[in-house]
Amino acid sequence: MKKIYAFIVIFIIIGFLALFPKFFPGYGVRVLTGIFMYGTLASALNIIAGYTGYVAFGNSVFFGIGAYTVAVTMTNHGWNFYPGMLLGGVIAAIFAFVVGFPLLRLRGPYFTIATIGVNGAMLEIVNNLEFTGGGEGITLPLIRMSPQATYAFFYYLMFSVLLLTIAITYWLSKNRFGYALRAIRANEEAAGAIGINAPIYKTTAWMISAVFTAFAGGIYAYWMTFIDPSGVFDIMIGVKSFVMMLLGGGGTVLGPIIGASILELVSEFVWSNFLFLHMMILGIIIVITVMFMPRGIVAFFRRKTRKGMA
Amino acid sequence: MEKILEGRKVTKYFGALKAVDSVDFYVNKGEILGLIGPNGAGKTTLLDLINGMHPLSEGKIYYKNKDITHYKPYQIAELGIARTFQIVKPFPGMTVKENVLVGALFGKQKKGISMQNAIKKVDEVLKLTGLYSKRDFEVEGITIPDRKRLELTRALAMDPEVLLLDEVMAGLNPKEIEDVITLIHKINREMEITILVIEHVMKAIMEISHRIMVLHHGKKIADDSPQKVVNDPRVIEAYLGERYAKKRVKNDAK
Repeated sequence: MKKIYAFIVIFIIIGFLALFPKFFPGYGVRVLTGIFMYGTLASALNIIAGYTGYVAFGNSVFFGIGAYTVAVTMTNHGWNFYPGMLLGGVIAAIFAFVVGFPLLRLRGPYFTIATIGVNGAMLEIVNNLEFTGGGEGITLPLIRMSPQATYAFFYYLMFSVLLLTIAITYWLSKNRFGYALRAIRANEEAAGAIGINAPIYKTTAWMISAVFTAFAGGIYAYWMTFIDPSGVFDIMIGVKSFVMMLLGGGGTVLGPIIGASILELVSEFVWSNFLFLHMMILGIIIVITVMFMPRGIVAFFRRKTRKGMA
Repeated sequence: MEKILEGRKVTKYFGALKAVDSVDFYVNKGEILGLIGPNGAGKTTLLDLINGMHPLSEGKIYYKNKDITHYKPYQIAELGIARTFQIVKPFPGMTVKENVLVGALFGKQKKGISMQNAIKKVDEVLKLTGLYSKRDFEVEGITIPDRKRLELTRALAMDPEVLLLDEVMAGLNPKEIEDVITLIHKINREMEITILVIEHVMKAIMEISHRIMVLHHGKKIADDSPQKVVNDPRVIEAYLGERYAKKRVKNDAK
């Protein structure tokens, strides 16, 4: 019964969000698009960091790859947006495979630092390439629609990618593959002894994570119509996604989205009301959650209800 | 008798230390082989070598006459060799049931197993080892004896043909030890699983083993029936010291 209620609530939320731009066009649509983007990034990071236990701060490299693939194919080669976005996902997956095989042998902070290094290296490469426009960035073709229709377009696009990411995460949380990832996070040695081929599972998890991160990056590029290397290969994208995931609860299906919503809304509110205190207030919120809800909001409430039932 | 597992000149150096020194061993199909020896004799290291956690320095290991010397732990598990760890390695953040489920979903060649069948298997082994009533507990919330039992349950869920048990009775009280002995007999006879068991509880190892192998400073010093092994002067010496062994031999002569 509890499950049925949960599904009803989720359907109402999805329905509300699907109709939102029709009734409240403008500012709210843009804020929500931002939440969807970070929700996607935090969910994608959740697959490798939350479920598998490999904290890939450098996931921003896939965001950048997605953004630049769309930018270069559209601006230089006159492609449509969608094939560019898909190609971005493919390139990101291949990149995750090639880099993942050696890097995922590292554990804990060593892996994290290595991913930051990869992101930094990619930033420098794109900075110095000619066809990417180098450090000056690259301008994308404008979309030929009214501002309102444009906002709605990106809103629905980001929303679809977010739903797809959640669906994949949900599927993963229930099946054999997901259990392999959770076992690897819990104890990689024991996972191996049980018959789990850890390198394959870890690399696949990172590839899935890369694809969705690249999709979000691709949409972002088209949405902003201008990108530069330091903007899309910004390590803070990875760090912020991680904080959101942690806030909501890593290794849960909905945690990262809850975390992304809260942090983006609070951030938006604080930003518009206390411009100078913005970072400080956000910092305090993060410290408080980490101290009192180290396993995130979802785990915090789940534990409460479990205790209540016992 | 058919040898299911066999090692030839199995050797492992850790730097200058010979943890396992040129040990020849075999386990017959359907047998329970006890592995004993003083602390630091190389028992767990030998298990680590069979299980693929450490590469061998020298020697070869065969499973059903197939060379498995360079296999990785997950491949060993897929072949049908499961192990438990002396220092238990449960999966934190999961319930008891989920821990065992991982074993049922992987282990011996289970690429196509359905979730339903895996859960059926989980219930079956949980009932067998007596953890069924605690299946929904978070693994962090169960006692050490239960964690030992969980190790065994998870290994059984893997559907193994050979089970390597590393001190599953350490820290248990006499009643619990009795239960585990009964369980091991059951696993061996009814499920027809071959067992290699490391144990310090002498009463238990004497009772369950068909044959006992003794390691001392990495070398094999005895390999015989339980009765013969406990009366072997070299074994007594290894455990209780040279003087005691000599005295005992003298007394026996009188």
